Amino acid sequence: MAEENKIEKQLIEKAKNGDKTAISELVHRYSSRIYSLALRIMRNEEDAEDVLQETFIIMIRKIHTFSGRSSFYTWLYRVAANVALGKLRQKKHIDSKVSIYESEFETLRGSGLHNWPDQLDSRINDKQFRECLKQAMVDLPENHRAVFVLRDLENLSTRETADILNISEANVKVRLMRARLFLRDQLMHHLKCMEGIR
Amino acid sequence: MHGGHPVIQHTSHNQDLIKLLEEQLGKDVDARIIREVAEHMEECPDCRVFVDSVKQTIKLYRVTEKETSIPDNVSERLFKVLNLNR
Repeated sequence: MAEENKIEKQLIEKAKNGDKTAISELVHRYSSRIYSLALRIMRNEEDAEDVLQETFIIMIRKIHTFSGRSSFYTWLYRVAANVALGKLRQKKHIDSKVSIYESEFETLRGSGLHNWPDQLDSRINDKQFRECLKQAMVDLPENHRAVFVLRDLENLSTRETADILNISEANVKVRLMRARLFLRDQLMHHLKCMEGIR
Repeated sequence: MHGGHPVIQHTSHNQDLIKLLEEQLGKDVDARIIREVAEHMEECPDCRVFVDSVKQTIKLYRVTEKETSIPDNVSERLFKVLNLNR
């Protein structure tokens, strides 16, 4: 691990000096992770590719500002998350959607929870159920989705997520719980509609 | 929840829940309080459904939202845009 860190540090230093081979190696190392992150946040391949390209264009332009205070992937994730959220804001006017979400959150919270099915795993191969999972992520407001993706899917810590999104750790926790509840309630709503759960 | 109560046993069954509570409440909260909340949540049917439903939701997304490898054509276009050799 220490050796790996040393190699990466050397690559970054070379990349800062414009060494194309080193830049290329960094792109190889991180392009899959950044594409996956972008896809999870953007929810479509075309936009994910835009985010991917823009992230690495910024990496090349700004790598000289990387000071090493955070890990390189945290720095790169921050760039990618900002690019992705910027694009989503342009597309959907994020602020107005948040206020709608807050009221939805209050309405949906806990509704019919006592009927939550014990074993949902068995439905994973059900096409309609998978669509519902996807749609719930699309409906989740972007700034909450980003927290859910980074914390629960990318397994980053609260501190790292806060750093990447430039918000407080308390804010990460609040958004994460709201995101989890929103997704859970959307699934519950879907199951009720599909199967007439009372 | 303070004083007089026996110390809650740290069972392996509620380790996940304790971890989740520690994450959510932060490190400043007394470990004993966290254990007692976990114990309550284990025994209270409503809290149990609440916790299980949240855990299951996270699990479903972890299973269905697996990391996607970058497709070859996307990688090819990326290197082209960046003017780099693959």
